[in-house]
Amino acid sequence: MHEFLNYVVLGLTRGSMYALIALGYTLVYGVLQLINFAHSEVFMSGAFGSYLVVNAVTHDGAHPAWYGVIGILVLGLGSGAAVGAAVAYGLERVAYRPLRRRGAPKLAFLISAIGASFFLSQLAGKLFNRLNNNDFPTYFNVNHHVVAVAGVTVSLVQAIIIVSALVMMLFLDTMVNRTKLGSSIRAVAEDAPTAALMGIDIDKTIARTFIIGGALAGAAGFLFGTAYFFSNTMGFIPGVKAFAAAVLGGIGNIRGAMLGGMLLGLIEVLLPTFPWWHATGLIGIQWTDVVAFLILVLILVLRPTGLLGEKLGRAA
Amino acid sequence: MRSRSVVSMAAVAVVGALTLTGCGSSSSGGGGLKADSGSGGGSKTYTIAFEGPLSGDNAQLGINEVNGVELAIEQANADKSLGFKLKLLKADDVGDPAKAPAAAATVIQDTNVMGVVGPSFSGATQAVGGKYGDAGIAIVNPSASNGELQDQGFKTWHRVIPNDYAEGPAAADWLAKSVKKVIVVSDKSAYGDGVAGAVSKELKAKGVTVIEQAADATATKDYGPIAQTVKSSGAEALFYAGYDAQGAQFAKALKAVDYTGVRMSGNGVKSDVFTKGAGDAGNGWYFSCGCADATTSSTAKDFAAAYKAKFNTDPSTYSPEAYDAANIVIQAIKTAKGKGSVTRSSVNDAVSAIDYKGITGDIKFGSNGDLPEGSGVVNLYQDENGTIKSLGDITKAAAAK
Repeated sequence: MHEFLNYVVLGLTRGSMYALIALGYTLVYGVLQLINFAHSEVFMSGAFGSYLVVNAVTHDGAHPAWYGVIGILVLGLGSGAAVGAAVAYGLERVAYRPLRRRGAPKLAFLISAIGASFFLSQLAGKLFNRLNNNDFPTYFNVNHHVVAVAGVTVSLVQAIIIVSALVMMLFLDTMVNRTKLGSSIRAVAEDAPTAALMGIDIDKTIARTFIIGGALAGAAGFLFGTAYFFSNTMGFIPGVKAFAAAVLGGIGNIRGAMLGGMLLGLIEVLLPTFPWWHATGLIGIQWTDVVAFLILVLILVLRPTGLLGEKLGRAA
Repeated sequence: MRSRSVVSMAAVAVVGALTLTGCGSSSSGGGGLKADSGSGGGSKTYTIAFEGPLSGDNAQLGINEVNGVELAIEQANADKSLGFKLKLLKADDVGDPAKAPAAAATVIQDTNVMGVVGPSFSGATQAVGGKYGDAGIAIVNPSASNGELQDQGFKTWHRVIPNDYAEGPAAADWLAKSVKKVIVVSDKSAYGDGVAGAVSKELKAKGVTVIEQAADATATKDYGPIAQTVKSSGAEALFYAGYDAQGAQFAKALKAVDYTGVRMSGNGVKSDVFTKGAGDAGNGWYFSCGCADATTSSTAKDFAAAYKAKFNTDPSTYSPEAYDAANIVIQAIKTAKGKGSVTRSSVNDAVSAIDYKGITGDIKFGSNGDLPEGSGVVNLYQDENGTIKSLGDITKAAAAK
């Protein structure tokens, strides 16, 4: 049983990051009915950007006091979010807005997104390096057990990821539902021409949606880098998974993306390690993607619009 | 519109210029045809090619090797008695089987190329070994250790290291001295699956319980679940069959779950990419490697000093092997020249017949192009606080713990 719970913790950690990235896909889809395939590189940029800041204020093997650690974490999350937001905004201005102005077909947006994605990934490779195991400096003991009850352990880094992701998601949910900016995003999502008639600046709202999604992905980049590694190609797989998570929850649906991300993380970790077949050696970790995407297909067959249904305006 | 047409004309002009320079370099390559006739006298220039990852995730291994080749060529060019000059052609395959054919094509096209050192990785070798064979270019491989490459019918295959079917069982025998239950994790690459299979088979033959698992290196970003599996399995030892960068992440994940068993891996992980990446999580990891420690014999010490002087870094995994491989090609060109003509086929024949005393040992090739059965030494290494220490011949090394 304690092993199962340890896997649950691993799944929630992974799912938190998927959820943060998935929100960016879903927010943009909500207002533009467009999949921003360069979003995975926004996530990657957040990791590199926050690394520059974190590496400047601390160094490997530093052991600041607890408030120092919290300060660095907040700084890392903040800088990751800032860089992510800036890159996402840049993407909107450079890769999407000119196409939108000219009324380009949907396919053009897709190609533009793929091009931007390659550009950003290779740019990071040129500017930094192409190693696939860059690390943040270790300034706190990531393996320190915050919870250790009857063999169930939650390490400090896992706790940081899950808690900060939950806080950010709560913040986003409140913002979308309670603020003026949130209602303009919902209005544009529901019916853009009518929203424009009501005096909402559509371009500004779309840009802000990109910025919010980019900030979440950038912060996720920092968390991912702190827990695992970062590289110029790190975005691709988490990006594809997060997109799948957004579809699983119902693309365009904010709470759906949160649920989909968490669920996909849990499915990926728990199903291939389920005691009955895992202990007997029938299937193992190498089946992760097979099992996870089989479940995804099954859910979409039963609920074609995702678990919570499509559309930002309706569900939020 | 006008400015746009100017831009497109400029683009055409640039492309045209590039094509022209392309022609220029290929025509100078064509001039090399004359060198093939090997009329003797004068100072001919022959090319030795290196194929391996010089960019991308696994570039470090390729750089270790190409440096060894470069050093061998530089030393040969300093030797006036040779009667010919050598050039190095670097072909970057990123370590990727999909990109290897293009890299091999640039090597094969250059008629001056008499031998190739590489490809570094087993997957890439599988993709292009036949192409080199058909072109008649001698392959002297310093590091692709998959145990089936010698049986693929590559006509010009030679390899200076023991393959995984020699290395894997040696590692398994060493583990079997002290543990009764081992979990073997493959990264699903051509190399990883080969070595995992060889280790598992030998462990089972020794009566050790084996749990086989895998973590696909291309898809796994989070090694938490597989590390938890290793811990939950209750295995006394882990053997990871994969490469260094992923090995480092795996090591960190294992530390996170407090796995305390013996952790071991093969030649793919033994590198400073692992020791730097894993940090203190890599402390205590063992590596089996059919590769030499460049600090043991006196000739190797000269090599290590020259390498450090030239590249300002110590030779790392497979640098000595690549140096030996390049020297074998040079030696073979010399032999072929002595016999009258330097052609791809005469060089290949000379490589096959060679008996070369290298810094990694005495190198001869069996009929399948590999080292004769039982002649290569597999060494045991350990990560001690971030530096890789040699523990000597694995068959003589004491058991784990």
